[in-house]
Formats: sequence, C-alpha cells, structure tokens
Amino acid sequence: MNSQGGPPLPPSGELINVPEFEAAARAVLPTGVFATLAGGNRAPFERMTFRQKLMVDGTGIDLSTELFGERMFAPTIIGPVSAQNAYHAQGELETARGAAAAKTIMVVSSRSSRSVEAIAAETDAALWFQVYSDEGLAARSAIHRAVGAGVKAVCITVNDPSASDRRAFGPPRVDWDAVNRIADGAGVPVIVKGVLAPEDAERATRHGMQGIVVSDHGAGAPGRVAGAPIDVLPDIAAAAGDRLAVLIDGGFRRGTDILKALALGARAVLLARPIMWGLAAYGAAGVAAVLFLLHNELARSMVAAGRPAVALIDRALVRIHTR
Amino acid sequence: MGKSERHWRNGISRRQALAGLATFLAGSPVLRAQQDPFPLAGHRRVPGFSEMTSAYDFEPVFRANVSRAVYDYTARGTDSEFTLRRNREAFDWVDLVGGKQIAPDTVDTSLEMFGERLATPIMLAPTARQRPLHPDGELGMYEAATAAQSAMIVSHASSFPFDRIAEAARGPLWFQFYPRPDRELSRQILHDAQNAGCRAVVVTIDQTASAYERALHNRHLGGEPRTIERPSAEDLGNPYGISSGRLWYEWSYLADIRPMIAVPMLAKGILTGEGALRCVDIGFDGIVVSNHGGRALDYGPSTLEVLAEVVDAVGGRVPVLIDSGFRRGRDVLKALALGADAVCLGRVPRWGLGAYGVPGAQRVLEIVQAELVQAMAALGRPTLAALDRTAVRTEFP
Repeated sequence: MNSQGGPPLPPSGELINVPEFEAAARAVLPTGVFATLAGGNRAPFERMTFRQKLMVDGTGIDLSTELFGERMFAPTIIGPVSAQNAYHAQGELETARGAAAAKTIMVVSSRSSRSVEAIAAETDAALWFQVYSDEGLAARSAIHRAVGAGVKAVCITVNDPSASDRRAFGPPRVDWDAVNRIADGAGVPVIVKGVLAPEDAERATRHGMQGIVVSDHGAGAPGRVAGAPIDVLPDIAAAAGDRLAVLIDGGFRRGTDILKALALGARAVLLARPIMWGLAAYGAAGVAAVLFLLHNELARSMVAAGRPAVALIDRALVRIHTR
Repeated sequence: MGKSERHWRNGISRRQALAGLATFLAGSPVLRAQQDPFPLAGHRRVPGFSEMTSAYDFEPVFRANVSRAVYDYTARGTDSEFTLRRNREAFDWVDLVGGKQIAPDTVDTSLEMFGERLATPIMLAPTARQRPLHPDGELGMYEAATAAQSAMIVSHASSFPFDRIAEAARGPLWFQFYPRPDRELSRQILHDAQNAGCRAVVVTIDQTASAYERALHNRHLGGEPRTIERPSAEDLGNPYGISSGRLWYEWSYLADIRPMIAVPMLAKGILTGEGALRCVDIGFDGIVVSNHGGRALDYGPSTLEVLAEVVDAVGGRVPVLIDSGFRRGRDVLKALALGADAVCLGRVPRWGLGAYGVPGAQRVLEIVQAELVQAMAALGRPTLAALDRTAVRTEFP
C-alpha cells in the first residue's frame, strides 16, 4: 500500500534514479494531479558534454558550498511548490521533514496548504519563503510573518505567464517597481525568481537584490532551440558578476544536469518536480531519497570530471554543442 | 431378450461410432501430419553460424545464450547512457570521401607497433569476466584472437588468471591494469603480468566513480535488494554513498608505477589533448582514447569527436589507440583516417564468444577485418599509411 492507497510500490530505497520516482508518482497520483508534475525540458542538457580532467584525487569529495553566509550541504534547494497537499495528505510538512533528513534548504510557497509556522515547527532544515510580485501588500505582510517564523531568505517570483504568452512576447522582463515595493525592509536576503534576461540580472544588483533564480517556472516546451534557463544561464551569470548569487531551475533530473549548471555559473539548483514525485510516492522518505540520489550522482560526476569540490567547477568543464 | 434385441440395447449407435472415430482421428499422427508444424505466427528461428554476415548478427544470438545480467553487463552504460548513444551517433558525423576503387586483395592492413608487426589494426579491448559468456572465457577469446591475428588486451578483472592465459600465448598478449593504491601490491601485480609474458600494459585511468543502474535492476531480478550503496559515511569517507575504491587516483601514482613497467605502457581513458600530453610527459608509450564504452562519466563526449584533438596534441610521439562504440569496418576506417593507429573492440568479440564460442569470436573479428579491407579498397587506400584525413569529412556538432 502506498501513501495514497493505490497499488504497492517498492521501498523507496530500491529506486535508483529520479525518473523512477516520476514513474512511482504516476502510479500513485490521479491522472489530473500527476499532469501538474509531468514533463520538463531535457533538450538543452542533451546539447552539453563534459571535458573531464583525469587523475584528480577525489577522496575528499565535497559538495558543500556557501550561500548568503551559510554553509549548504550541497548546491541543491527544494524549490517552491504551492498547495502540496495535492500530492500528499501531510503536504509541506512531509517535504520539510524530508528536507531536514537531506540537510537541504526548502523554499516555502506563500500558497502552501500549511502555515509557514507549522512547517517551521516540523523541520531543522533552513527555510526560505516565496511570494509573487503581483501580490502587493499581502506579500509584504506574509513576508513579515515568515521572517518571524525564522525563514532565512525571501524569494519573489516574477513573470509567470502562460507558455503561449511567452512565445508571443519573447523573454519576459521584470517589473522592478512591484518587486521593490515587496522587497523593501524584508530584513533577510531577497532573491528574484523568474529572470531570463541579462539586463534584469544587472538591474537586480542595482535594486539591492542578493540573488536571482534563472527560471521559466518549469514551463519549458521540449524541442525549443534556445531560451531554456540553462541556455541563458551563461550570459546571465556573466552579467550578474560576483555580487549576485545566481540560482537556476528548470528540468533538472540528473546529477550531471546540476554539474552543468554549476559550471555555467549557477551557485545552486532549485528542484521542484523531482521532489514532488518523491513526496507523492513516499512522503518525507521519498523527498530525502530523491535528494540522496541527486547528491550521489553529482558527487560521482564531480569526481569523474576531476572537480571534486564545488569551487573547482569551472566554465571549461562544459562544452555546448550546436545540436 | 433375443440376440438382436440385446445388440440393439447394448451396442453403440452409428452416431457414437462416428464420434469415436472422429476423436481417434483428431489425436492421430496421420491427421497431425497434415498440419503445418511451423505455423508462421510461431516462427522463431535462431540463425545459424554460417548466416552471420555482420557483427550485429551475433548480438541477438549472444543475448539468447546468456543470462539477463550478463547481457546487460555487456550492453549497458552509466546513468542516462547519453555517452553510450553518442558513441554510435558520432559515426554519422563522419563521411567517407571516395577515391579510385582498388581490388580488395591488394589492401594491406598490417602495421608496426612497439616493434612488433601486427596483421590488423583491429584489437580486442580489455573487457572483464568473459567466462559467463562461454565456459572457455579468456582462454577461448585468446585462441580466437590469435586465429584471427588480432592482438588481445586481457582485463585485470579476467575470469581466468593472466598467467594461465599467457601460458597458451603464441601471439601478442597485452595486460590491462587497474591502479591499486598500495604501491607494493601494484609492483607485484605488474611484475607477475610481465613475468607471464605480457608485451604491453594498459593502465585504465578513467571510471573512478561509475554506477551501472541496469546492474542494480538485475540484482533485483536475482532476488537481491537493488539499493544503491548506502553504507555509513564513516565507512566510505564521504556522505554521498559513493564507493571510495578508485577516488584516490592522482598523477603522482602514474609516475610511481612507470619504473615498474619495462614493456610499453599505455594510458586508457583519455578524452582531451591536455590529458594525453600529461601522459606523454609522464612517460607513457601510448594513449587509448576511450570513454570505457559509455561506462565512465555520462554526458562525456564520444571518442570519435575528440580523437583528432588527442592525435594532434600527441603529434605522433606515441601511438594513439581508440575504442568505444566500434561495430563495423567502416567505423574502424573513420578512426584510422582521423589519426588513430589501432582500434579496440570490446562488445563485438564478447557477442561472438557468447554466441558461438571460439569460432564465433574468431568469425566476428574476421568479419570486421574484412569490412575494413573492403572499405579501404572502395576508397582506394591500399595501406594504413595511405589513410589520412582526406579520406573523411567531419561535421561534429
């Protein structure tokens, strides 16, 4: 019996990669609910190969990295997903327990099915809080409450139009006035999520942001030639320089995907769908297992690539091909 | 009751008699012989040895002969198997440029390497544990390789001990070595292999932290839990669940073992010009461009697309060999044209040995060799020396 009362699943420890968690989630979730978690644009990752260095001692393999003055176990973050009770009866509480087991930061959505206080009470994991840029004053008060509950950073989501709008109007731009109204006086580092243009990375610094998430909110359509977050990451990272922490999400399913993002200038990767697959099928154990697998794959590929520490991962590691 | 009446009451009716006869006929071989013993829908036919016309023909026979785990161990790559697929895809990015056709019997594929004459540039890559393919294992593979005049590299992880294989050696026999952190143990292993008569040592320096997901599946099929390694962080020295067996590799080790090897020493697993140069500087006598058949770092490049870079970096100082994905004579030709001195086949001879034993391994090697001769003749290149980059047009993405 699985958490949703469906057919039996193998123990979560027997699943050996993230795609298997997707299959498990498909098995336990109603079709319509699973559809909200399906897909992801894999094409850009298939156009990138590694140039590895050989014979680099990997016994001290270390995934840890620093962000906003805090040490992270690995350069992965659980991305914000609203209303997680759709995937598991305990929703965000289970995700938070899994985050603690995997020593991973969790971003709590302002549209969570549980209060930020209830989630914070459930976990040792560091929490961030996410709001939408068009929520105005409501977002400000929600941030105030969340900071009171102990969240370490705030993430303001911008530009979440439908995929069809994006195709019609090109890369979306950020409404900085709206962002500033919300970010003002937050008291914790503020990150803008949804940046896809290098100019907005420059503006983010000017407006006092500490970080950005290069993201198309998981809307990437497979087969598009360019414009997925990982495609635009190098230019954005160059525009951001050292002053801004550049994070990314969008289609990450393998440790090698994460390694590519780190090489192209990201400080960490946000994971949403894979985490929800783990949550839906196995609750907190699934969340932790998905992160364990990704950390295992990342560690293996970092050793094999001759970059056994995050600081050693350089741009020369990744070759981007035309097709 | 009279006799007739008794007969009428107890005897069988005409209907019963007919039914009985029909039942008898239905089970009779006389009637069954009228039916097609091999109905089309049930047509399952194992092709015969004489029907093998390309390396690919051996794979399904091999697959049918061995267990699922043995097949998957041979067939599969790491993680998403991107590199495994790319190795094959890369041959489509290299076109052959035609010349004036010559007669195949005027083609000479021989070459000299490390002072030895080799009849063909097609060699056997080191692949582990060949006994599950066929009871003759490496002994049979060596016999087949010798019969086909191909040099064989015996895996460090062979089913038979190296000295037993070397006992029967009549042709070139090379030894592949996986680094051991203990220098004395390394010295012992390398000494024993050279003592047994290996003509060269191939040191594999890739595959430091790989995992075959498919092998984990198979453990499950065998009734064992297929959990990935999750021993305690203290046991592994890392909290990420990766086996620490080969994490320690470093350049200084190769310099340390260099004096332990008196025969030519090759480095296998090179994919960049810098890596090749470093090996030449340390004193390696040869380079094997390899991604371990798509079994090392996934999302690494195909070997064919990086071959020219390595060849150019080495600049002819030492021979450059290549493996990973080669199936046909044309594949071999493309690598030779791009500057490789020899090509190693890993899966192909495994298919041959697993399909038809020693004759199978010999035949599959001879098929690929014949394909190479045909291709060289078609392009008008009578010798390996006459094969250069003008024989190919490349368009790597």
